[in-house]
Amino acid sequence: MSDFATQVEQLRPQLLRFARTQLRNDAWAEDAVSECTLAALERPHAFAGQSQLKTWLVGILKHKVVDQLRRHTREATILVGEDGEDVDEALFAPDGHWREAPGDWGDPDAACNQRQFFEVLEACCEKLPPVQARVFMMREWLEIESDEICRELRITPSNLWVLLHRARLRLRDCLQLRWFDGAAAKA
Amino acid sequence: MPKNTLSCKEATRLLLEDEDHEIPAADRIALQVHVKICFMCQRFVSQLNLMRRATQAWRKHGESDVDDTP
Repeated sequence: MSDFATQVEQLRPQLLRFARTQLRNDAWAEDAVSECTLAALERPHAFAGQSQLKTWLVGILKHKVVDQLRRHTREATILVGEDGEDVDEALFAPDGHWREAPGDWGDPDAACNQRQFFEVLEACCEKLPPVQARVFMMREWLEIESDEICRELRITPSNLWVLLHRARLRLRDCLQLRWFDGAAAKA
Repeated sequence: MPKNTLSCKEATRLLLEDEDHEIPAADRIALQVHVKICFMCQRFVSQLNLMRRATQAWRKHGESDVDDTP
């Protein structure tokens, strides 16, 4: 194996982890990573060495992840109904007031400078209902435009907003529970 | 409650929509008025800011730092 191939192969576990987080499906993640490494090995000269190899590979992998999502669109169309629980209902009284005041999360830097915070964030994303997780990752991680997500998943913009709305509220709850409630104890 | 003020639930919905796409000007004004006087929604705004920053940082972390984890 060439040096280049060895280096690419060594990064495989990390790429796989990245793809799994995005796709939440091991088989799709394997496929995306295989396609990514294959593409990389086919044109090693395209890697100019300006960025880190890993950054370059992740750039390719993002496209392959989107391809996978595209390919498996049909499986993603069982949509808004997947979330039985009404997130809004849990947060707001019938008159539209907060049932409980949102917590004071303090200085954003304090959280963002801690590696464990990102582990919690990742775990919280993994706990989202699958379709919510998928649209959230597409929007926030892969930075795909809303129009394109709607096209790919064959959903309407209002479907998308409902999904993102719920995803963000659920993430907020999860972060409150798994990070901020305990943060006082950590400090 | 005066007729043209938002409830916290409505304000929250607009704030979340605003994360993703621009909301109509009239809604934005109503939202600003509400948030100005509602400390609970101010907290929610701070939470959204933190989440936005965190996701940005996380995205970068995922691209450039994946190997730091053992």
